[in-house]
Amino acid sequence: MILSSSQSKKILDQVRAASKADSWVATVTGTERRHLRFALNSVTTSGEQDDVGLAVTSHFGKRSGTATTNELDDKSIAATVRKSEEIARLAPENSEFMPPLGPQKYVAGKGFNDDTAKAAPEKLASLSEPALKEARAKKVIAAGFFQSGADSSALATSNGLLVHDQTTNWLFTVTARSQDGTGSGWAGKNSHDLHKLDTATLGRRAAEKGMHSVKPTALDPGKYTTILEPSAVCDLVGWMIGDLDARSADEGRSFLSKPGGGNKLGSKLVSERVNIHSDPEHPVVPGAIYSTDGLPARRRQWIKDGVIEQLIYSRFWAKKQNREPVPYPTNVVMEGGKTSIDDMIRDTKRGVLVTRLWYIREVDPQTLLLTGLTRDGTFLIENGKITRPIKNFRFNESPVTMLNNVIAMSPSERATGSEIEGWPVSVPALLVKDFTFSSISDAV
Amino acid sequence: MNRRDFRKKDSTSAVIASMPTIWVRTGSAASKEVALDKRAFEDLAGIAMRTAKQMGASYADLRVARYQNQSINSREDRIESVAESTDSGFGVRVLWEGTWGFASSSRVYRDQIRDATKAAIQMARANRKLRLKPVEVETLPTHDDEWVMPMKTDPFKISLDQKTAKLLAINDAAMKAGASFCSSMMAFVREEKFFASSFGSVIHQVRVRSFPEFKVTVVDKATGLFDSRRSLAAPRGSGYEYIEGYDFLGEVNTAVDEAKQKQKAKSVEPGKKDLVIHPTNLWLTIHESIGHPTELDRALGFEANFAGTSFVTPDKLGKLKYGSHFINIIGERTQRDGLATVAYDDDGVQTKGNEFHIIKDGVFTNYQMSLGQAQYIGGKRSNGCAYADSWDTYPLQRMPNISLQPGERKVSIEELCSDIRDGIYILGDGSWSIDQQRYNFQFTGQVFYEIKAGKIGQMLRDVAYQGNTVDFWNACDGLCGKDEYHLGGAFNCGKGQPQQVAPVSHGAVPARFRQINVLNTRKQS
Repeated sequence: MILSSSQSKKILDQVRAASKADSWVATVTGTERRHLRFALNSVTTSGEQDDVGLAVTSHFGKRSGTATTNELDDKSIAATVRKSEEIARLAPENSEFMPPLGPQKYVAGKGFNDDTAKAAPEKLASLSEPALKEARAKKVIAAGFFQSGADSSALATSNGLLVHDQTTNWLFTVTARSQDGTGSGWAGKNSHDLHKLDTATLGRRAAEKGMHSVKPTALDPGKYTTILEPSAVCDLVGWMIGDLDARSADEGRSFLSKPGGGNKLGSKLVSERVNIHSDPEHPVVPGAIYSTDGLPARRRQWIKDGVIEQLIYSRFWAKKQNREPVPYPTNVVMEGGKTSIDDMIRDTKRGVLVTRLWYIREVDPQTLLLTGLTRDGTFLIENGKITRPIKNFRFNESPVTMLNNVIAMSPSERATGSEIEGWPVSVPALLVKDFTFSSISDAV
Repeated sequence: MNRRDFRKKDSTSAVIASMPTIWVRTGSAASKEVALDKRAFEDLAGIAMRTAKQMGASYADLRVARYQNQSINSREDRIESVAESTDSGFGVRVLWEGTWGFASSSRVYRDQIRDATKAAIQMARANRKLRLKPVEVETLPTHDDEWVMPMKTDPFKISLDQKTAKLLAINDAAMKAGASFCSSMMAFVREEKFFASSFGSVIHQVRVRSFPEFKVTVVDKATGLFDSRRSLAAPRGSGYEYIEGYDFLGEVNTAVDEAKQKQKAKSVEPGKKDLVIHPTNLWLTIHESIGHPTELDRALGFEANFAGTSFVTPDKLGKLKYGSHFINIIGERTQRDGLATVAYDDDGVQTKGNEFHIIKDGVFTNYQMSLGQAQYIGGKRSNGCAYADSWDTYPLQRMPNISLQPGERKVSIEELCSDIRDGIYILGDGSWSIDQQRYNFQFTGQVFYEIKAGKIGQMLRDVAYQGNTVDFWNACDGLCGKDEYHLGGAFNCGKGQPQQVAPVSHGAVPARFRQINVLNTRKQS
């Protein structure tokens, strides 16, 4: 159930009236989503989710307790407030306690689209049909997922803060496997605006990649000039941005820690061609208008010309370091270049094209070394042309190394990864040198 | 367990007594509330079943669930957060003209159940045009039963003071032992489900899971080198007695010492080495390289878009030599303390009597299945592996507890190492990654020791092992006996779209693997 600003306020006012705590923070959320899945060229399961939530954190002095419920009748709201107070009274004092925020200034949310919020099962089915038709016509076997829905959230504090936001999101992904099981292709997109969805194109792209990737042959592992399509870049850049916490860096346990103490803020980290920012008002990837603790999301430059310009500072750590608090970004935009993927291929003497990545995990936090695999369309490029499909690789690479090795970038576009699905992320495709593939995978 | 057993258990377990109530509105939202018990549930189930039948569904089921969660997080000398949540609602699933439909709501009202059942039918109707072959499901035996997980101490009845004191004592011990940082946490879940199906089953179940964990970090500010060591305690389908019985203070001192040793440890020389893998690491390798590939929905292609397919295709059933001849892997949902342990799965299949070999004497013998899948491999019915992680999610085929059976004779870890010239002893799970058909994997760990001339020696660092599933399990040539059995597991195995998380345990004994590819994570990147 999507809660309007006035519905949310009414619930939060009930919290205010019921609270006996010294201070409190409350969040009320609502979700309405529908999804459709298909596999083996046929619809499989589908579903509808409809939920609400109330989280109340009560404070007595520096003692805090949080209680959460998804029952929003009067009795449950009051019981949740009482429960949070009960926990707070029993909890030990937290020396890092920060009082709740007072009123803040927010930008107007731009990430809500009515048609995305209301897409009915019939709409999901009819929009999925072109992708399935592409697969059936091209005699590949398609599996996919289509979800569309909306979220509402509102946050209030005992110090007079009240903010309400609502966003929509759809995600459409399709994998097309060849009949003989030796080839697989993928395409996927997400957005807040359903009018931007073109399932026929996505279905065609997945099917063509699937057909072109049949009977791959092995290429020796090693360092290769590599084109990473936006989905792969989304996962690796998104992972790095999620790891920009100042405190971990200051404490000496992050890839942003400096030997001898301190962090790398203001240091050159990656190629000067790399610029990454967040902006809740971005027209293509609008983000939520508020973040951690109710702090406003606003435009922030994280990396400028390769230099770390900004780290994430919790309210406590900011106070301790005498800095402005900086919450986690609600979207990520890596600025792109002007080189198309076709031009990157043409400019590559010998290299690898990667469609997307899979099962990415951190191997070494000191260097942000990540491992994972390529998937659903990996090809060899020779003398400016794709010459053959190759078996998938396991990679062991740090996004920091990758972003130091950038040769060219495509224009930035909205992308979805296999690890990072929900965040609004816009990234370019990258042409990089010396990307490290450590072993071969027989997986298709 | 029948209802009489349930009543007997009730006297030793406080689970039901302390369970918050699901309130059901008998009419519209404003009308009278009744506490959900089995009788009230049967009334709701009747609404769903009648509505589904009237609208032409060939099968329907209703799940009403309530979850209670508690999490406590701490670092060094302070409790960072204490949170409790309750979450309840229902999901109704229908099979209409061979097409699935599902709808759910947090509002457990009679009217809402009727509306959601209609919405599920509407969804099936909308999707009918995209369906090629009608879905068919087997008829399942019916059960009218209640079951509560046996445990000694309900974690939700332990005071907050007791829990926070334990966490702060762990952190304090770590800091006194010389850690730069220590964080620790406890998380508890109570899951209560009512289930009814159009076959006629009515089932009520309650279970609890507990997850304690700490992590110590040692930082050398001068060199910038930092190393961590996580606790080896696994999450379990257990009461608080598990946490009370675990020697966290002993382990945290060991952990700090090991984190310090890591800082000065020799960086591993990469290459082929013999490995002795402790169950605190091996459980995850079993999970990824045996658990996931033997999920029948993956093997058939139903999860191709996200989780992936499997190299274990149905033509390999009864033929594939998955591992050495003494490798026996059993799937079951009846093991005490198992995170997947439950009396009935989310399709209403009884788990007792459905324990099955996935690998028997090294040969692949069976898949994990849920409703409607057995027919694809010539089977009669599901072996009880359905699970939905919430009232608002569709039940998927999920892992039962999947465990490596101990060797027949008593063998110590030292004996396993005794003929190794150049090897590594690995404890604790670290980083993990495997491809979408489950061939190629790479794992790290928490602690690594060199094995030289048959003896466990100095600590190593920067170790990852990489392999191919079938080669790896066929390279196993030694197992410890049942005395070394350890039950590992995860709270949050991910699968499906939208992604669902499932709790699952994996038992194992220490095992020896010959000539496995070892990487140096610092040098080979």
